[in-house]
Amino acid sequence: MGDLVAHTEQAAGEFDTAATSSVTSAEGRVHLPGDVHMWVMVLGDLTIFGAYFIIFMVFRARNPQEFLASEQHLNINIGVLNTLVLLASSWFIARSVQAARADDHARALRLTYFGGLCGVGFIAIKAYEWSAKITQGYTISSNDFFMFYYMLTGVHLFHVSLGLLILGITVRELRNPRRRRPFMVEAGATYWHMVDLLWIVIFALVYVMR
Amino acid sequence: MQILAEAEDLPKTANIKTQLISLWTAPVFGVVLLVAFLAFPGFFPPMSPEMTAEQVAKFYSDHTAMIRFSMVTFNLCGIMLLPIFMVIVVQMKRMATQSHVFAYCYLTAAVTGATLFALADIFYLVAAFRPARNPELIELLNDMGWMIFIAPVGAAVAMNLLLGLAIYFDDGPNPVFQRWVGHYAVGTALAMAPAVGAAVFTTGPLAWNGVISFWLRNGAFTLFVIVMFFVLRNVLHRQAIDEGVAR
Amino acid sequence: MSSTVSTDSSPTAGTVDPARPPRAGKRDVWLVFWIVPAFYTAFGVIFFALARVMPPPRPDVTVDQMVHFFHAHALTIKIGFGVLVLIVGGAGISNGIVVYHMKRMTVGSVMAYIYLGSMSVGALPGCLLVAFSFLTAVYRPGRDPQILAMLYDLGLLSYVGSLGCFSTAYFAFAVAILYDKNEIFPKWLAYVNVWQIVTEVLTVAIFVSKAGPFAWNGVNSFWLGTVIFGVWLVCVIVFLKKANELQPADEPPLD
Repeated sequence: MGDLVAHTEQAAGEFDTAATSSVTSAEGRVHLPGDVHMWVMVLGDLTIFGAYFIIFMVFRARNPQEFLASEQHLNINIGVLNTLVLLASSWFIARSVQAARADDHARALRLTYFGGLCGVGFIAIKAYEWSAKITQGYTISSNDFFMFYYMLTGVHLFHVSLGLLILGITVRELRNPRRRRPFMVEAGATYWHMVDLLWIVIFALVYVMR
Repeated sequence: MQILAEAEDLPKTANIKTQLISLWTAPVFGVVLLVAFLAFPGFFPPMSPEMTAEQVAKFYSDHTAMIRFSMVTFNLCGIMLLPIFMVIVVQMKRMATQSHVFAYCYLTAAVTGATLFALADIFYLVAAFRPARNPELIELLNDMGWMIFIAPVGAAVAMNLLLGLAIYFDDGPNPVFQRWVGHYAVGTALAMAPAVGAAVFTTGPLAWNGVISFWLRNGAFTLFVIVMFFVLRNVLHRQAIDEGVAR
Repeated sequence: MSSTVSTDSSPTAGTVDPARPPRAGKRDVWLVFWIVPAFYTAFGVIFFALARVMPPPRPDVTVDQMVHFFHAHALTIKIGFGVLVLIVGGAGISNGIVVYHMKRMTVGSVMAYIYLGSMSVGALPGCLLVAFSFLTAVYRPGRDPQILAMLYDLGLLSYVGSLGCFSTAYFAFAVAILYDKNEIFPKWLAYVNVWQIVTEVLTVAIFVSKAGPFAWNGVNSFWLGTVIFGVWLVCVIVFLKKANELQPADEPPLD
């Protein structure tokens, strides 16, 4: 652990000092991408959402007919479109991390912008979907299924917005020649991938599952 | 603003950055609150205190969804207007030629005002929770919501008078705010003060649906937030330059 | 404010055991610190056992059942909430010590003031309004059942449903922690604050739903929110203690 300490001290300072291990040593130690604090965030958030998903499944099991019938009213094409948009954004963000690690910051920046743009697209599609459902008469108080639908996608949308803020921080990091710390870019990407993962589960449970 | 390289990690830079974040919450959440304001069916025109209990109950059962959407948004996002007022507190503490007493009084007055805002929307939401409730009780809840929302302007009046006084007292060589901001704050206080009439009058311009108590009061407050956003942006920029944080 | 060396002073430098350094921190801050867990323990006893607000009684009951609730628990409501309005200063104190440590961060004071302000706002609609509603409800026997039902709704909707004040406080706390170079609190505590905001967002449905997981007594709106609040509270108390311990006893008083 001794030389890890030395390496960590080298990487420490500036914005976030604790427990980053973003410098790989010559011996090829395991590198934790991003920083440990973001992983706490991601794992905790996944646990919380995991609880929401289990609760959804429990209520679905109690009322399978109603949930199945209500699910038919969702537009699965829009759901698929949203999934593809978010997957594309994750792809851009993953590529941008690779570019950042290779010190190609201009490319990393471009890719981050594309990823963020997809995120904005996701929000726009979701807003359209919600307004379509509401005009069709399926509101949050229609039944339990729709309450779950709006609340789960709503909380997810909050996470997407937060993710756009975090990508904004990544952009600032990449644009500043004195920063461009890999762990910052990785931490932002970690969060964004979590948002994508959550959506895939929501899509599977709420739109697709029979 | 362009943060200087050598200042990036300094505490005074973080001080500027956190103030900037606080400042920008105002327009971001201001837009959200504006949407909530436009969505509430009882603001266009504002509900009359002369509505009967049956009419009030009918209003709540006819518009339940929009009332809930609007008031939930105020509930969740309303206090996000507090940060910009706390930036004013920090700036008041920078005034060199006075003690910080006005700043602390401003802080406590802002908290009082925010509490009233947080309290008012709970009453609307309870009124909309069970539209089949006895109409007189819905009217009671509606009355309390409106009265708490419109009438207790004392906190906002005090805040603005304190800001005005602080600016007038800040007469050294490097005032934090330009003098006209002090006049503007006092003017806002005077524009909002008559809304206390809403606690007493049921008709006319001073009732809670009246042009003075509703439109002038809320318009003056909204304009104040908008104007102060730009004023504080400049003030923060000058603070950053003065402290060697930005160029 | 005293800046005297703490009474458990270290002897000469050569005899300090590096594995067990003398406890640092200032005595006045320690005094305030211990009030925090004491207050929240009392709060727990009051809200869970006495006032019966945690878990809350159901929204999907008849007026008669609401009246019955107040009759059945009148005594413990009076004791519990009567004590609460005496000790509620403990909430202010708990918020104050957090503000104190936030002001020791390297981020300036604005986030500390936002935390101070938002938490203070929250004390009324988010804690005391249920106390007043319930105390009023049980104050006079024989009150009109419909009025009792209204007080029931008012108390519980305000208690579970005061969302924005706390969200703003958590936002300020998170931003301050993330920017702080003094590491007063660990960075991941900022994310615990974000989880708290997530639970507030998820609670909005209580104003619509009267039964099921999104009602004010539901597993999503209430139970998950309470569990995560418990996690947040434990973390804050633990790290307040650590922040106290790491504070040098001779640190000059704050501005």
